[in-house]
Amino acid sequence: MRALTGSKIWLIVALTCAGLWIASRALPAGTSSETAAPRPESSGIFSPAHRSVRDAISDFMGEHSTQPAQPIAFPHKTHLARGLQCQVCHTGVDQGPDAAIPSVKFCMSCHLVIAKDRPEIKKIAAYQARGEDIPWVRVYDYSPSAHVKFNHAPHIRAGVACSNCHGDMMQQTTAVRAVNLNMGYCLACHTQRKASVDCTTCHY
Amino acid sequence: MERRNFLKLSALSGAVTALESCGSPEQQLIRFIPEEDLVPGIATWKPSVCTLCSAGCGTLVRVMEGDAEVVRNGRTGLIKMGLAKKIEGNPQHPISRGKLCARGHAALQALYHPDRLAGPLKRRGQRGEGRFQAISWDDALAELTTQFKELGSPGNAASLALIARPLRGQRRELIERFVKSFGAPAPMFYESLDDTVLRKANLLSFGQAALPTLDLARCDYLISFGTDLLGTWNSPVAQSIGYGEMRQGRPGHRGKFVQVELRMSQTGANADEWIPCRPGMEGALALGIAHVIMSDKLRSGETHSRAGSLIAGWADGLPDYAPETVAKQTGVAAETITRLAHEIAAAAASAAVIGGAPLAQTNGTFSALAVNALQALLQTGRSESPVLSFTPGLPIAGGASGAESDTSFSSLNDFAQAILNNQPRAPKVLFLYDANPVFGLPASVRFREALGKVPYTVSFGGFIDETSAYADLILPDHAPLESWIDDVAESGSPQSVVSLAPPAVHPLHNTRAMPDVLLDVAQRLGGPVAAALPWKSYDAMLRAAYVPLRQHSGGGTPESEDDFWTKITTQGGWWGTSPATRAPAPPSSHPAMKFAEPKFDGGTQEFAFYFAPFPSQSLRDGSLAHLPWLQEMPDVITTAMWSSWVELNPKTAEQLRIAQGDLVDVSSQHGSVRAPAVLSPGIAPDVVAMPIGQGHEKFGRYATGRGANPLSIVAPLAEDETGALAWAATRVKLTRVGGADEGKLIVFAGGMSRFPAEEEHR
Repeated sequence: MRALTGSKIWLIVALTCAGLWIASRALPAGTSSETAAPRPESSGIFSPAHRSVRDAISDFMGEHSTQPAQPIAFPHKTHLARGLQCQVCHTGVDQGPDAAIPSVKFCMSCHLVIAKDRPEIKKIAAYQARGEDIPWVRVYDYSPSAHVKFNHAPHIRAGVACSNCHGDMMQQTTAVRAVNLNMGYCLACHTQRKASVDCTTCHY
Repeated sequence: MERRNFLKLSALSGAVTALESCGSPEQQLIRFIPEEDLVPGIATWKPSVCTLCSAGCGTLVRVMEGDAEVVRNGRTGLIKMGLAKKIEGNPQHPISRGKLCARGHAALQALYHPDRLAGPLKRRGQRGEGRFQAISWDDALAELTTQFKELGSPGNAASLALIARPLRGQRRELIERFVKSFGAPAPMFYESLDDTVLRKANLLSFGQAALPTLDLARCDYLISFGTDLLGTWNSPVAQSIGYGEMRQGRPGHRGKFVQVELRMSQTGANADEWIPCRPGMEGALALGIAHVIMSDKLRSGETHSRAGSLIAGWADGLPDYAPETVAKQTGVAAETITRLAHEIAAAAASAAVIGGAPLAQTNGTFSALAVNALQALLQTGRSESPVLSFTPGLPIAGGASGAESDTSFSSLNDFAQAILNNQPRAPKVLFLYDANPVFGLPASVRFREALGKVPYTVSFGGFIDETSAYADLILPDHAPLESWIDDVAESGSPQSVVSLAPPAVHPLHNTRAMPDVLLDVAQRLGGPVAAALPWKSYDAMLRAAYVPLRQHSGGGTPESEDDFWTKITTQGGWWGTSPATRAPAPPSSHPAMKFAEPKFDGGTQEFAFYFAPFPSQSLRDGSLAHLPWLQEMPDVITTAMWSSWVELNPKTAEQLRIAQGDLVDVSSQHGSVRAPAVLSPGIAPDVVAMPIGQGHEKFGRYATGRGANPLSIVAPLAEDETGALAWAATRVKLTRVGGADEGKLIVFAGGMSRFPAEEEHR
């Protein structure tokens, strides 16, 4: 590091600042309102590319929103307190890689009658009336560039509690990214439970 | 500053400058309510039927939940639905037996094609211009019903005409009933490279108007006259499986395969012996072999047969076909003919088949009868079941494959001429379903002009092609993977087979299944039409037609109707033995035929070369040219792709100073096409060959304006007996008109970067 001393460091810092300034200008206007609007949906075509420069930067720096704004202020704790189990809505979690997010039809199968005067329920009914599904915003996600795959089913079979990764849902309204799902977090648990830590278990 | 952060920041500053020009994120799409409940991330394999050729292979489609970008009620958005991801052969199915050809895999692209029509269209511009505007199904069906009500008035009965691709099973039944209930002439089932000649010859020789089934796994010696049996002819998947077993499936015993053809195909390249024969002389060659077998007494017993009696001089041992005479006619040495005869007669299980170009001569029926007579002779005195047989029809009413009555070139030509000459019986309403006669007929038929004169044309095609561009109304059908499909196999299995499957995926677009549209229109019209088509939906019609098969499933008490229906729709069809359901037709009083010289269009002086168009291995007759995977698939012999080419012998090329890739002009008396030259030793010096399939004027972004259509310069000569198009009976001249830069040949090993195939879309 002998070459990087004195004025040279300041020169690089200045260049970095200039770069960041350009970056802030390059940020597309649409994404700056991330808290207000749901994130753009994918086009269905797989691409490891980031959707915007801002996405790329926050992913690169390891920044994640821990509780993204959802279109409906869904209270997990109310539903759980009334005795509903996770798998009633999140079907398929013990069968395959992903847990299902129920469609608006499923919500309305109860809320056609229950609590139909609440403002949030009216919003759900309005979605259904327009023929639209609720555009839920993803909470847990991996950067596509990490090329990592997660499969729920074997974790459920191994008896890993949902709260291990999702936190105590009894206390949450809309879902919170309770833990930072980096490789260290996964490996700690895999090592402790003597599950495979082979690279290709998750990266394939 | 930590080294880690420092590195991250400096990487960022560089990356950000590079990314500054990146566009804004995609527009946010709304989400529609899903129509089906699926377990995310779990794949299911659903049965389907391949419709990309007429073999009727059973397939399995991998379906998984995914997000599709769709339009619903005029709004674009995303919907979670089961999406087809991959197609494979169905291991239970007796024809495909778990295998599938490259064309079958590309059926996915027919589903997701960006140029698929997403809803009904009404013509806006001039006819043939291809400008349409979207309308609703209600308006479209109301308009159609009005047209039919006018047709229903007295004296108008004959004014409905229908042209479809060759169909089998209940789709054919439905169309025939619909047309018949109007009192209109029978629908025309048309394909540019039809097998009319072979079906006619097989009816005469063997009493079966069908393509043969080859049990190649047992075959010890096969001689094929022009059949591209591993590529495009008949049932290529079933034949390829059998061929693999014939050559390598029996340790220590490898069947011999001899291919006689004009231009070396993939099949020819696989043969032990490849024999070029003068065009139109294949029948004489077969009879030369038969002559040797009979005169050298290589077959004991009675050589007289039904097939033999159709050949003049057969009973006398074919005196006109001594090897020396035949050698002069065919260009095949007399010793070769004698040797082939001795080899094939010595083999335990042998077969002779004919198909493709030899039948597309004016004397095609004679050639087919001659090869059939040779086949019957090979079978004489053999107790084991023949290699060549016929797939039995279904043991239910209307269970014949129905291909027997396909429309030949001549009847379509007469149809066009009737319109052009304003004859009173010319149709007022024309239905088109997956047939593209404007592309497939020789330009001299002037079908395009005739189409412009039909008062009202309705197309059920999912794409705008040369023919449907003339339609007044387009009612797009579902893609095959979105439809109920049934197909009664004509060949490929010793059992009778119906391939049957429900839709593998929900429809992506605002399309409707053609059978359901016809049933709907029939209900709207009422009267005799509704009475002839009483079903509420096409699946109800299929169930009514195929449930009677449960009586033939063998075993004790038949299952309940529901159980049987569930079983056949989940396994992809029904197959079983059905004794004596296809008894041979009684011999007709067809006179014994003498060899007739093949006629060619164009004088030998001016037009020095025989023109040999051949079906492209990937695009077939051109009906698959819109699928980019198939455009990208290199031709097996030349490795050419994304283009047309002209194959010629290197000696011919040297004489005409043509080099590989040079642009050449191929002219007949009826027009000219241009394409780059490919030099190939697998072709006679007096023959030039060109693949059929390219040269579309309108057929989606991947096919439009690419290559040239050799069928457009083919002479409108018909086969003498059947009226089928003799597409290999044209003579042409050849001129070099440009270098490799004008030729723009794209082959697997190069040319793609020089002449990008997709430059206009990038």
